[in-house]
Amino acid sequence: MDKSPVIERQNSTEQVPDISTPEENNHSHKWQRISPIALIYFVLMLIKNIFGNIVYLAPAILIGYNKFSEDPTFWLPFVYGFAGLIALSAILSFYFFQYRLSNQQIEIRSGVFSKKYTNLPFSRIQNVELSEPLYYRPFGYTCMQLDTAGSVKQEAKVVALKKHFAEQLKHEILAAHQQPVSTDENNETDDDSVTAKVTTADEEVLDRRNLDDLVIHGLTNNRVWIFIGGLAPFIDNISEKVGEWLLMFGFNVEQYFAFDGKSGWQIATAALSLALLVMIPITIFSILGSIIAFHDFKLSKVGDRYIRRSGLFTKNEVTMRLSRLQMIVRQQDWLDVLLGRINLKFEQSNANYQQAQPGQLTNKIIVPSVTTKECQHLINDAYPENNLENIQYSPVSVRLFVRNVLLLLLPFTAFISALFIIKDKTDSLIFVAAAASFICFLMYMSYRRWGYAKDDNFIYVRKGCLGVDYYCFPIYKVQQTTFKQSWFLKRKQLCSVQFLLAAGAVNVPYVKQEDGLKLIDESLYEVEHSKRNWM
Amino acid sequence: MTEIAESFTNQTIISDELPQLENLEFATLSQRYAPTHRLVTLLTTVILMLVLTAIIYQPFAPLPSEAVTVFEFILWLVGGIGLIATLYNSFADPKKRYALREQDISYQSGLIFRKTVSQPILRVQHVELKRGPVERKVGLASLQVFSAGGSLHTFEIPGLNIDDAEHIRQFILAHKDINQHG
Repeated sequence: MDKSPVIERQNSTEQVPDISTPEENNHSHKWQRISPIALIYFVLMLIKNIFGNIVYLAPAILIGYNKFSEDPTFWLPFVYGFAGLIALSAILSFYFFQYRLSNQQIEIRSGVFSKKYTNLPFSRIQNVELSEPLYYRPFGYTCMQLDTAGSVKQEAKVVALKKHFAEQLKHEILAAHQQPVSTDENNETDDDSVTAKVTTADEEVLDRRNLDDLVIHGLTNNRVWIFIGGLAPFIDNISEKVGEWLLMFGFNVEQYFAFDGKSGWQIATAALSLALLVMIPITIFSILGSIIAFHDFKLSKVGDRYIRRSGLFTKNEVTMRLSRLQMIVRQQDWLDVLLGRINLKFEQSNANYQQAQPGQLTNKIIVPSVTTKECQHLINDAYPENNLENIQYSPVSVRLFVRNVLLLLLPFTAFISALFIIKDKTDSLIFVAAAASFICFLMYMSYRRWGYAKDDNFIYVRKGCLGVDYYCFPIYKVQQTTFKQSWFLKRKQLCSVQFLLAAGAVNVPYVKQEDGLKLIDESLYEVEHSKRNWM
Repeated sequence: MTEIAESFTNQTIISDELPQLENLEFATLSQRYAPTHRLVTLLTTVILMLVLTAIIYQPFAPLPSEAVTVFEFILWLVGGIGLIATLYNSFADPKKRYALREQDISYQSGLIFRKTVSQPILRVQHVELKRGPVERKVGLASLQVFSAGGSLHTFEIPGLNIDDAEHIRQFILAHKDINQHG
C-alpha cells in the first residue's frame, strides 16, 4: 500500500491535525535532537535504574557507608566522580538521542555504546501516550511513548517534545490509523463517520472525576503502591523517623509488644488498636495515592478515540482507539458495593506490558469510582449493543462450591483442629469453627457470584466474592479457547472453559459440558466466520 | 419419491450446523515421541541425581553433616519426582493428540485434567518450529503458534514428525486470512 493518498486525504478532510505547516514539515525531515530539558529526564532515569537495582547493590552500599563515615574527606572525590559520571552519561545519552519524522514514520537513534535504531511506521503504532512529569511542566514539554502491538517487542519513547508539537504529532499518528488494515466493510463505514466527526466536533468529555470521587476511590481500593513505589529507597529512614516521632508522644513500640502478664482483653484491644494504627495510615496513603494518580481525571472522546488524562505530579495522557478495546471490566469491591461505586476498565492488548510493574496504570483506561448510571453510560458509549445491565446470567454448577469445601476447607480445618486437640487447647476450637464457617460463607458467595451469559455479539462473565466483577468482551476478539475437563467433571458432564483475549484470559468454571462446548463452538465460528480484525 | 426426499434438506441453522469440538478428528503424535520423552525425563533425573551424589560425597571439601542431610533429602526428592514424572508421561503422552481443521488447530493433552486448546488460524501472529538436540536426532519437532494472547498462552504441539510439523507450518502460513488479519 502506498502512503501518498493517506497524506492527501488528511490534508483535505482533517482540519484539526494541521501539522503540515511548511517550516515544521521541512524541519521534521532532518535528524534532530530533543530539547535539553531531557537532561533532567536522563539523570532521573539513571538514578532510578541505580536505585531499582538496590537489592544487588545493598551490600556494597552498606560497606561503602561504613567506610565513608570513617573518613568522609577521602571518599568525597569518589562521590563527586560518581555524580560527574551520571551527569556525563546523561549528556551523552542526550547527545546521541535523535529522531526524524518522514513520510508517515518515525525513526529514533539512541544509545551511547550500544546503538539502537528504531523505525516505526505510524500505521503500526497501537497507542500514543503522553506524560508530563512535574519538571517538564514549567517549560511546556512532554514525553511521548509509542507502543506497537504484536509479538515483536518494539516501542519507542521520544523523551522531550514541545507539548504543542507532540499534540500535533499524536493527531497525525492516530490519523494514519484510519486507513490501514480495515478490510471489511463495517470498518470502512466506521472510519468515514469518524473523519466526518473529527472535522466537525472537537473533544467530547465523557467523564470527569472530582476530589470526593478520588477520596472514595482511595478508601475502597488499595492505591498505596503509588506511594510505596516512589518512596522505596527511603523506607528505612521513614520508619526510623516514625519510631522517633511516636516516642516523642510517649508511645513505646517495644513495650507495646511485650505481652507477658497481660490479660486476654488487653491483648485483644492492643491488637485492635494496632490494626487501626496500621489501617489509618494505609488508608490515608491510599487516598493520597489515588489523588496522585487520578487528579484532574478526564475521559474524553474524539471520533473513535478515547483519551484519558490524569495525574497530580506527572500528568498522563493515554489515547486508545475504540477498535483496540478488547474487554470491558466492571469491578466492585465489597466497599464499592456498599457505596455504590464501580471501577470501570477499558482493557486493551497487554502483550507488550508483561514486564510492567503490577501497579502501573499505563495502557489501561481505568475510570475510578463511577456511579452505576455513569458506568452504564460509558459502557453503552463504547459498545452500544451490549446487554451487560439486563442480561440473565446462567449459574455455574454447585459442585464448584462442594469441591472447594471438600478439597480446600475441610482438610485444612481438620489439620488445625487436630493440632489444637493434640495441644489440649480445646477451647480454641471455637475460633477455628468460626473461621471455617466464615471461609465457607465466602466460598458460597464466590460460587453464587459466578455466572456467564452470551448474546449475539458478546460474552459476559460475572465473578467475585463479596464484591462483584463483570467482564464483557466481543466474541470476535477471542484469540484462543480452551476446554478443560477432569475425570470427575467428565463423570458429572461438567467442564471449564477459558477464553483468551489479547487483554488476558477469562475463565468460566464448572459449566454443563453441553453448554461449554456450545460456547466454544459458537465463539470459534464467530471468530473464523466474521474474519474481523481484533485490533 | 425418494429422489425428492433426498434433494430436500432442512437443517436447523447455527448450533446444529456449526463445526463441533466434540467431533474433532484427532491425529496422534509421532510414534517416537513417547519413548523419547520418557528417556529424556529419566536421563535428566539420573544426571541430576548423579550431580547431587557427586556434591555430597566428593572428597575435596566435605560438607557439614546438616548440609549432607539436606542434600540427601533433595536427592531423594529429585529421584521421586523424576520417577513420578516418567510414570505420568508414559500414561499421558499417548493421549496427546492434535486436530487440524480448515480454520483452526486444536491440541488435546492431560491425563486426569484433560484440556483441549483451540487456536483459530486467523489469529496466529507467527509460527515457529522448535527442535532441541534430541529432537533433531530422532527427527521430531515442536510446533509453536503465537497469538496476541501473550507468551504464557503460546499454543504448542510437541513431538511431531518433522515432515508433519513443516506441513502444518506451511498450512498456517499459506492460510489466506493470516496475512490480512494478523
